[in-house]
Amino acid sequence: MGELPFKPSQPLSLGVELELQIVNTRDYNLTRGASDLLGALAKSKHPGDIKPEITESMVEMSTSVHERHGKLVAELRTMRNAIAAAARKLNLGIAGGGTHAFQKWNDRRIYDTERFNHLAGLYGYLAKQFTVFGQHIHVGCADGDEAVYLTHMFSRYVPHFIALSASSPFQQGEDTLFDSSRLSAVSAFPLSGTMPLVHDWAEFEAYFSRMHGFGIVKSMKDFYWDIRPKPEFGTVEIRVCDTPLSVDRAAAIAAYAQVLARYLRLERPQPISAEPYLVYSYNRFQACRYGMEASLIDPCNNRSASMRQDLAATFPRIAPHAEELGCRPLVQGLLIGAQDSANDARRLRARLKESGSFPDVVRWQCEQWMQPPK
Amino acid sequence: MPDLFFLPAAPLPPNQIIWFGVLLLAGVIVGEIARRVLFLPRITGYAAAGLALGPEGFALIDKTLLHELRPFADISIGIILFELGHRIDLRWLKRSPRLALTSLAECALGAGLVYFTLRYFFALDVLHASAAAAIAVATSPAVVMRITADLGAEGQVTERALLLTALNCSIAVLALTALIPWLYLEYRGGWTILLHPMYLLAGSFALGLAASATTLALLKWLGKREEIQAVLLIALILATIGAAIALKLSVLLALLAYGALVRNLDKHYRLAAPDFGLTGQIFFLILFVLAGASLDLHAARSGIVIGASLVAVRFAGKALGILAFVPGGGIQVRQGLLLALALTPMSGLAVIMLQDTQSLFPEFGRTLASVVLPAVVLLEITGPILTQLAFKLAGETRPQPAAKS
Repeated sequence: MGELPFKPSQPLSLGVELELQIVNTRDYNLTRGASDLLGALAKSKHPGDIKPEITESMVEMSTSVHERHGKLVAELRTMRNAIAAAARKLNLGIAGGGTHAFQKWNDRRIYDTERFNHLAGLYGYLAKQFTVFGQHIHVGCADGDEAVYLTHMFSRYVPHFIALSASSPFQQGEDTLFDSSRLSAVSAFPLSGTMPLVHDWAEFEAYFSRMHGFGIVKSMKDFYWDIRPKPEFGTVEIRVCDTPLSVDRAAAIAAYAQVLARYLRLERPQPISAEPYLVYSYNRFQACRYGMEASLIDPCNNRSASMRQDLAATFPRIAPHAEELGCRPLVQGLLIGAQDSANDARRLRARLKESGSFPDVVRWQCEQWMQPPK
Repeated sequence: MPDLFFLPAAPLPPNQIIWFGVLLLAGVIVGEIARRVLFLPRITGYAAAGLALGPEGFALIDKTLLHELRPFADISIGIILFELGHRIDLRWLKRSPRLALTSLAECALGAGLVYFTLRYFFALDVLHASAAAAIAVATSPAVVMRITADLGAEGQVTERALLLTALNCSIAVLALTALIPWLYLEYRGGWTILLHPMYLLAGSFALGLAASATTLALLKWLGKREEIQAVLLIALILATIGAAIALKLSVLLALLAYGALVRNLDKHYRLAAPDFGLTGQIFFLILFVLAGASLDLHAARSGIVIGASLVAVRFAGKALGILAFVPGGGIQVRQGLLLALALTPMSGLAVIMLQDTQSLFPEFGRTLASVVLPAVVLLEITGPILTQLAFKLAGETRPQPAAKS
């Protein structure tokens, strides 16, 4: 056994992490609220885990491990209700969305822990500009080789995840023209990008050992890849999604990842190869910039297709697996419902057009995420 | 010899504007010294500068000038009270009734202990003790708001300190107005007993309501252009202050009502959070320098015991009231104590309430001033320091720019 053992887990088990924005309810700017919110939540009983993140204006909620979408979405809603109740008590707003529409990055405060202070010292302004909010999806794998295979195969679907979750059209009080401007903030980090072309876990361990030997990384946490194996959880982690505006959409996107994983591990449609990575950056940019209007290139078939065509063409291939996992209508709605281009980025732009004010957009985001109290 | 009529005559004719400028300049400089050298709040420096140049210090500023500058102080207070009123978020109070109870408890226990102390240890009569207790309910809004802005404080202690200040100021003004009938009974009698307080309350509220209705109607037409909103608000605030003075209404109540109503009646979220920026800062500077210059040190020296007792029991009452409702309120005991500490300042508003009382009942007002002023003088300098300390200990202030390593 190498120095990075892969802890096997139940294949296709599912977990979700969501990074959330904490805003005040006066001008709806990001505010210093994480420690107060966690203090208020400490006494309440809720499933899952709620943790601080790098700035005081962010918390991360992570679910426990689930086999099916139904349980996952139920837990996400329970956690959402607990967080929303605590936030209401403190007069804070909690919102989804990959970026805050108008915060100034230099106003952010680093949450006071050793790791976060170290990162802030190492990355300087990048750490503060990294005030972005993402959804991470964990899919369980039987072993490391499967994790490596899934990591490579998922890369072909990265544009889908970007376009479906995109919710960061605004930054620093400007329309960026991107549907997901959050991912550009990730690209600035030296260890971002994709996993190198390793074919199995042994190769991956050898690669990790070298990087560790160079002193470049201490643990897997230091790789900011779009998709990465997570050996201590026994999962593959998809990290390209913006935090959607509601937990229901987050759960639907996670269900799509689970269905894809089942299709990929059972049908093994393609061998691991360098081909998909030829066009990876191009497709990723297309999805970030244009969302549902992107045009994608499929290097294996030498043709290009619009995002909508590609989503519609994907569904029949994975439909039997969605059926097996009990979420066929949900995934169908997500992929085919996308035909009218309605992702969260588009909804946010519509809201801005209607109200003409960024604070008002953020207020609406809070309403979407918190839902009225029961 | 050429005709030099265009040159000024010697000695230079006195010019009030110069002294006003000098006063503000001194405020800026002493404020920066306070912050950079002594790590004290800027506003403590402003007040110290005012005190040094005022009638009690080098007397560069005399009582006439202070009187002439009064409109500037009125405008500053009006703007501050409007901003404070805008901090009253009724939806938060509705969602968290404990918060409303906290406010009532800290007002009642603070006032109760002050009343008890004055009545039984300083042998004051019922009316004087009640009026002093009512005035002691209010926290200085200017201090809490300025410290918040200067330190970039954000968090539960800061937010709650601002909300509780807005509420206790409103309650203090209402309580003092409610005492007016008794004062009339004691000193004047006649029909005015009820008419006067009714006029003050209803009139000031109606004025605030009219101002907010006008604001919202104008905003509906202007749309959400934030740069124009600040100017619009300043214009309407000035008009409201002027109208309140002309109609002999309460500037305090009218502007608090204006701020609170314009926020809570704004169903379509047309008004962005007011940000008066630099203009706001200048008004704060004027207010604190003038407050410092108007300080009556004699009163403080002769009443040091009563002043210190009042400050101490007032803090104890507020702390008890807040701590009683900490469990289940979303904050920790430590935060509750810091919140009580942040509410200690008592200055500008107390002086205005004293002046208002004095203009109606001169004899009563003079005795009342001798009871309340020592505490005001004590807290004018120390209050901002305590609030700053509370926000810092709560960890809610903006971090200082890190030294380069």
